[in-house]
Amino acid sequence: MLTAADLERGALKPTWCPGCGNFGMYRALKEAIEELGLAAEELVMVWGIGCHGNGADFYNVQGFHGLHGRALPLATGIALTRPDLTVIVEMGDGDGYGIGGNHFLHSVRRNIDLTAIFHNNQIYGLTTGQASPTSDQFMRTPSTPGGVIEEPVNPVGVAVAQGATFVARGFAGDIPHLKELYKRAIQHKGFSLVDVYQPCVTWNKVNTFSWFRERIYKVEDLPDYDPRDRTKAFHLSMSTFHELTCAPDECRIPIGVFLEDPDSFTYQDGLPQLDRPMFKHAERPRDITQALEPYRV
Amino acid sequence: MPATPAELRVRIGGEAGFGIKAAGQMLARTFAHEGLEVFDLTEYPSLIRGGHNTYLLRASTEPVYSHVEPVDVLACLNRETLDRHHAEVVDGGAVIFDPDDFDAATVPQRLRSVPVPLTAMAREAGGKIMRNTVALGAVLGVVGFPLDPLGDSLRQQFARKAPEVAESNIAAARAGYDAARAACPDFFVQLSPAPGAPPRLLVDGNEAIGLGALAAGIGFYAAYPMTPASSLLHFMAAHEKSAGVVVKHTEDEIAAMNMVVGAAFGGTRAMCATSGGGFALMVEAFGMAGVSESAVVVGVFTRPGPATGMPTWTEQSDLRYVIHAAQGEFPRVVLAPGDREDAFRLTWQAFNLADQLQTPVVILGDSYLSDNRQTVPFFDLDEVTVERGKLIAEGDVADHPEALGPDGVYLRYKVTEDGVSWRALPGVRGARQLANSYEHDERGFGALGEEAAVRLAQNEKRMRKLELARAIVPPPARFGSPPEEADIGIVLFGTTKGPAREAARMLAREGVRVAILQVVTLWPFPAEEVAAFMDAARRTAVVEGNLTGQLESLVREHALREPDARLHRYDGRPFSPEQIARFVKEVL
Repeated sequence: MLTAADLERGALKPTWCPGCGNFGMYRALKEAIEELGLAAEELVMVWGIGCHGNGADFYNVQGFHGLHGRALPLATGIALTRPDLTVIVEMGDGDGYGIGGNHFLHSVRRNIDLTAIFHNNQIYGLTTGQASPTSDQFMRTPSTPGGVIEEPVNPVGVAVAQGATFVARGFAGDIPHLKELYKRAIQHKGFSLVDVYQPCVTWNKVNTFSWFRERIYKVEDLPDYDPRDRTKAFHLSMSTFHELTCAPDECRIPIGVFLEDPDSFTYQDGLPQLDRPMFKHAERPRDITQALEPYRV
Repeated sequence: MPATPAELRVRIGGEAGFGIKAAGQMLARTFAHEGLEVFDLTEYPSLIRGGHNTYLLRASTEPVYSHVEPVDVLACLNRETLDRHHAEVVDGGAVIFDPDDFDAATVPQRLRSVPVPLTAMAREAGGKIMRNTVALGAVLGVVGFPLDPLGDSLRQQFARKAPEVAESNIAAARAGYDAARAACPDFFVQLSPAPGAPPRLLVDGNEAIGLGALAAGIGFYAAYPMTPASSLLHFMAAHEKSAGVVVKHTEDEIAAMNMVVGAAFGGTRAMCATSGGGFALMVEAFGMAGVSESAVVVGVFTRPGPATGMPTWTEQSDLRYVIHAAQGEFPRVVLAPGDREDAFRLTWQAFNLADQLQTPVVILGDSYLSDNRQTVPFFDLDEVTVERGKLIAEGDVADHPEALGPDGVYLRYKVTEDGVSWRALPGVRGARQLANSYEHDERGFGALGEEAAVRLAQNEKRMRKLELARAIVPPPARFGSPPEEADIGIVLFGTTKGPAREAARMLAREGVRVAILQVVTLWPFPAEEVAAFMDAARRTAVVEGNLTGQLESLVREHALREPDARLHRYDGRPFSPEQIARFVKEVL
């Protein structure tokens, strides 16, 4: 079993900016993996490109640091051929909701059994502060000097509407809460989305830790909230839009598990041939005598 | 000039949706079942209904390597077929047509009219839909081939339907047969079954590639539909459950290629295939496969471009593109099957090469290969091997000291003499490897990959695989006369092989000796073999299906030779043997 200490490479220390929200996510995930009792050999992590992706160097796990926006299909290829592995994907908001938006949409509807964690800092960090798909409307950045014109992507709402079977939002400033979200997401059978508000202390001077602390509340504190109710989850997801100017009492941001369908039909459930890792099919040439029959003359 | 009596060339034409291809393929199967060798060519526009479709079939007692230009019999299911194709019918050739479609007087005098009331006979047999079956019967009647084998094929074709469906079709075929026999009892081609032929296969290129991938132990196939690769997706999906393969129709080609790299990371033999436009989307992840040293196989089946181009036609214009695709420099292997036999063998070999070299391998085909069928000798299954290279699939990485660094840590990208490192799969104890799209150090760390010394070591390590590749990739193949005895040596790649072999056979009958060098592995380019071949031949030519001479440019760049002549075709049509033979006679 892995311990949180095992999960640090040691050779390399995180290079994130001091105070970066990624540190909280890093700690919460290490602790979640330790508490779930996962073995090193059964866990695979996949990263996209962005500040979050530099974590590939810091986690002492087997994994793949892929391309900008493409971590989900890369992870899908692993998950669909290695049923013996637990797959955790980390992506950023520009990475996963922007360039990778198409893969996000289809991964959700596929219900591949894997966990997707999105580092949502509402800005492009690694490329120095341009607006991201989750940047607030009217936010001014070097790529939007007049302010963002579009509405931000609502990842929780999109996922709920698109039939996701586990949708949660976390906050990097609340590590114990985030850790519990991670554990439930990893244990969930099916596609799990954990969108994590992870303030960028260098480029996003608006959506800061204190900004969030003044506005967030926990879904589980709502009376009678049932995460199996998709309509309620969608309704709750629509309360997440916020604008730069909104005062704490005007805009409240829920975190927690919005939706959880414990009995979902996963993509892997539709593949009875996945009774063993697919690499075992290539131990020797496959007998194709039967497959040749229709072509024999 | 009439064909030799042992060979029939027939074209069936009509409007899309008439069942031209299905009818033609039934005829091909019938001939092949009776021991003849067949080759077919389906031509169709990118439409589901409407437009002009034709199906060209060659049946012979000798091996056939390609289609040919002239035909002996033209079966017209509409007027347009006569208008477009009468010029290619040999003098004295037969034109089968429905006198209700056009007046027999419009059939050129040099041809034999075989009027068969297709519609009336089909109605008589049970429905207008059977017009194509009447025409099939008429084709057999013209050449005096027994009708019973077609009856057997029809019964097999309609086995799942009510018995009267097959019987009505047989009645339709018989009506056409009798009418044609009466109109044309003494046609110059009289074709007979060739009993005793060894078991063979009748496959198109995509089926051959699919069978090669299955034999290789493929576990994952991902694709987005694109002509002419789509039928390979259908083939793999049809075998998904029985063979135990995971097949995914993805949201786009970007996802397909990334999924394939992910599957390969897990140790699975994985492949995707597309055409040039789809490959454009895959190129980013193709480069990732290069830097992450992923063992993947990519089929690129080309058609005329750029952009959407001519979706259902053929061209060999993506050679340079495939060889150079993706930014930066990394080793790759590009294999180009010339026919369906090559397609099977090169595909299973592609999986071995990808594993042995831990780098992407491209199978470069084209529409002419993908879409068309050919009888080939039964595949030699005993020849198929699985070579997984430096792979640690299970157990403990500590049992493989060669994979470890001095401190006992597993090094995914360990610098080795041949450029290939030991690949430990996820799940192997102690092997916490990091595969990386970034430049990286021996452990896979991107943060350290930007050190100059690390960059040099890794970049050079990867490129050393090309030297290993040179030793293990399939060498060029030679056909026809030995180059030193030939009047001309032709260098070519891919499906130009078939028409060129046919041309060589034709020219040999006229005393012209042709040597052919088929460059099977385009990358790494076999410079020495090409140079030796060109030095040995008295005159040389490069024949290729593109405008700019992409193969010739590789010959000049790598073999440092200049051919005496060149022939290019880029109108969407494959070379015909006649065209190559004319070219050779012109340049000699």
